[in-house]
Amino acid sequence: MTEAVALSLSNGPDSRKAAVWRKHTGLIVGATLLGVILLSSLFAGFISPHDPLQHDLRNTLQPPRWAHPFGTDNFGRDIFSRVLHAAKLDLMIGFLCVLFPWMLGTALGAIAGYFGGAVDTVIMRVVDTFSAFPFLVMVIGIIAILGPGLMSMYIALTLAGWSMYARLVRAEVLVVKKAEYVLAARALGYLHGRIMFRHILPNVITPTIIFAMTDIVLVILSTTSLSFLGLGVQPPMAEWGIMISEGKGFILTAWWMVTLPGLAIVLVGLALSLLGDGIAKLLRERA
Amino acid sequence: MPDPLLDVRHLSKHYGSATGLLKRLSGAKSAPLIAVDDVSFTIAQGEIFSLVGESGSGKTTLGRSLLRLIEPTTGEIRFDGTDLCTLDATAMRAMRRQVQMIFQDPYSSLNPRLTVRQTIGEVLRVHAIRPVAQIDARITELLALVGLPAEALDRTPRNFSGGQLQRLGIARALAMEPLFIVADEPVSAVDVSMQAQIMNLLLDLRSRLGLTLLFIAHDLSVVRYLSDRVGVMYMGRIVESGTRNQMFEVARHPYTQALLRAAPRPDPARKGTEAAVRGEPPSPLSPPPGCHFHTRCPFATAICRSTPPPPETVAPGHVVRCHHHAQTHVMP
Amino acid sequence: MMALLDIRHLTTQIPTPRGTLTVVDDVSFTVDAGECFGLVGESGSGKSMTIKSILGLIPPPGRVTGGAVLHDGQDLTLLSPRAMNAIRGRGIATIVQDASSALNPVLRIGKQIAESMLEHGIVRTRAEARARVIDLMAKVGIPAPETRIDDYPHQFSGGMCQRVVIAAALSCNPELILADEPTTALDVTIQDQILKLLLALQHDLGLGLVLVTHDLGVVAQTCQRVAVMYAGQIVEMVGTADLFRQPRHPYTMGLLNCVPRLDGPADKRLTPIPGAPPDLAHPPSGCRFHPRCPLAADACRSGKPTLTEVSPGHLSRCIRQDALTADLWETAVA
Repeated sequence: MTEAVALSLSNGPDSRKAAVWRKHTGLIVGATLLGVILLSSLFAGFISPHDPLQHDLRNTLQPPRWAHPFGTDNFGRDIFSRVLHAAKLDLMIGFLCVLFPWMLGTALGAIAGYFGGAVDTVIMRVVDTFSAFPFLVMVIGIIAILGPGLMSMYIALTLAGWSMYARLVRAEVLVVKKAEYVLAARALGYLHGRIMFRHILPNVITPTIIFAMTDIVLVILSTTSLSFLGLGVQPPMAEWGIMISEGKGFILTAWWMVTLPGLAIVLVGLALSLLGDGIAKLLRERA
Repeated sequence: MPDPLLDVRHLSKHYGSATGLLKRLSGAKSAPLIAVDDVSFTIAQGEIFSLVGESGSGKTTLGRSLLRLIEPTTGEIRFDGTDLCTLDATAMRAMRRQVQMIFQDPYSSLNPRLTVRQTIGEVLRVHAIRPVAQIDARITELLALVGLPAEALDRTPRNFSGGQLQRLGIARALAMEPLFIVADEPVSAVDVSMQAQIMNLLLDLRSRLGLTLLFIAHDLSVVRYLSDRVGVMYMGRIVESGTRNQMFEVARHPYTQALLRAAPRPDPARKGTEAAVRGEPPSPLSPPPGCHFHTRCPFATAICRSTPPPPETVAPGHVVRCHHHAQTHVMP
Repeated sequence: MMALLDIRHLTTQIPTPRGTLTVVDDVSFTVDAGECFGLVGESGSGKSMTIKSILGLIPPPGRVTGGAVLHDGQDLTLLSPRAMNAIRGRGIATIVQDASSALNPVLRIGKQIAESMLEHGIVRTRAEARARVIDLMAKVGIPAPETRIDDYPHQFSGGMCQRVVIAAALSCNPELILADEPTTALDVTIQDQILKLLLALQHDLGLGLVLVTHDLGVVAQTCQRVAVMYAGQIVEMVGTADLFRQPRHPYTMGLLNCVPRLDGPADKRLTPIPGAPPDLAHPPSGCRFHPRCPLAADACRSGKPTLTEVSPGHLSRCIRQDALTADLWETAVA
């Protein structure tokens, strides 16, 4: 307590830095980690020592060493290069498969909450229908109809994921709609579009961003799970789920084939969770 | 006497009369909540008319229905000869240039993400009230009108005190250059030392701009300071209305008298021990039959329990809804 | 005679990122048994924080940093949280502003009134508790207490909830009640009923009552003595009649002149206090009221006025207190 008082009184740059660090450790660590992962995946072509798809049948199942830091797989492909290239694909899928449901869910949730009445009833019954299925069951079902592949996965994850955003946004809109500044906007004769996009949405978007930050981890896990099951990204593309799936037959003889892509998933998950929590904390403080 | 600027006739607002699908299918009819019950009044050009009442009296619902922020169930709102209730969305939007509102809670009546320039500039741009080149100058002018410095321009609401926010709310309404403003409890959420600033501002604006105001309040002393005429609401009805003097000097309705006696006064000599009125307001879902006030009224008789009292004019401009208005004025 | 509550130089600070706020600044006052003492001020003046400091309920990281709260021979600021719990409710009871949120919505009314009696061992059996609760409910004017004892809070109106809270406060026979804006959330006619009830109970039971309010009208009709607070400090303390008859602090004078009244001439224009209360993170130099004071002189900007006696029992924190008259005020604001 006395330290806290002393701290706030002495505004030296060092103590302030220390206070920021202590308060936002998770955010800083998460952002740094994700930054490193993002950069290395963006420049995978330069960093990776080998072509991720290049077979080298003389060097199959090599354990990690200098020439192949993560070892090689049963086709002699360099796992380190494959993990780096897969990062780009997995992060992009993760990002897009959160962005699409976020846009769809926010739009429909906002319309339902703002207009109410029959519009609300119809949209929310559709939401109920979509949320009645377990997430993975619905995703697998949709992919089964559309056929496996990257595009099917985008569609399936969007259709399975939007309803949560719709619910969240609708609930927030119902609260903000009663705020006097929205009433004032109506009294000032503004059109619905202006009221929605300028006066309501900016004030309800924060919680959806916080939710999206945690959702992105789940989506990446789902992506790798689907690819593991052979429903998502198709071999020979480098993708963590595929790599684990391919390595599972060698788990006793070549542990690195499964473990190191798995570690990559854990690292990305950790980075995104830390970042998500950190951003959530920051936004809550500002609000 | 010239035509009044605002002429409200038999306005009512009912809530929730069997709107649910299940209810409609089953044919069950629940009694509606009558928030505003057959209210009529007029406001002349340049006048400040106050509606006073306790929570649940319907005064806020009434104020909002005048701007059709809440759709009235029945009745007419004649503004400058036009019945607002008959206007379509486009015509009503145009009418909003002339009819504006000031809100109660200064902290929630401004979009927290927009600066003053954005909030007021938006009004001027959307309705093309000023050419784009003159917008900044006009905002500064409006700020000066409500007593805020030009430095306020690029700040967001969190940087202002409650009193300053209320001034901004007033400036936003004035940007439309309205003839008529509904002010819904504009000082009740403002700190005591700043209430007078806002009230004096409203009085000044009335005399400088010739504004007409409907002032909604629960505080009688505030109403006495600001109003030309006053209406007292109880459970959706206006039970008494008249000029300020009639209401504060010779109030006839037992409820008005009770309000006057219950209001705390900064006068230590006036310490009473008896409460001004007994009982609590009944539930608005099941209002008592007859005169709504009879459950708490010291004068109530059989007729009060059965028949709603009609409005009766006891003096020019002084209307009372009480069966016993002839006797009640002897009340201490 | 020893006062029921004797507060000496109470100071409470809250550290924030913007700096340390002194929300209660060197506040001293006493409350006697059978006395109703008013603490009046605007939001942020420190009146509620004073009550929280007395009860040891300042939310961390804020804390009482100085002074003493003497009650019943002990300094409450030195007590352990456990000992303080025994005092709260038992010796000192509180009534809060928002009664309906002070009650637990899923517990029956009777249970909530009985709770602290059972906790503090005032009653032993449930039957005894029930009888006493019915008695208390009747005392605070709740009709048909025998049936209403088993109702839930949502079945009570705001005014009735406040009566329940008062009954719970009285349940352990406290000597002192701290009421923080007990009627602010209520309608005028109900506020009137609750104030009259509080006064009657206080008189009948000989309680000490500290009433926190922003409403000078409420003060005038209930309190014997009153302290006016501004920006964390008491600026004037005096018997209620004298506060209204001859205020000796410019802030009090300003307040009395800026509230509209039901008596007196209707058309007399109010004189607002200019500006807004200060930001406690950056309080003004010298007298905290000087930026808004029509009588401020150079000395007010530098020297910090202390709370001194103008006449017996009348304290004011103004360097010009002796010269302050209604006439001087009128000419200054004109």
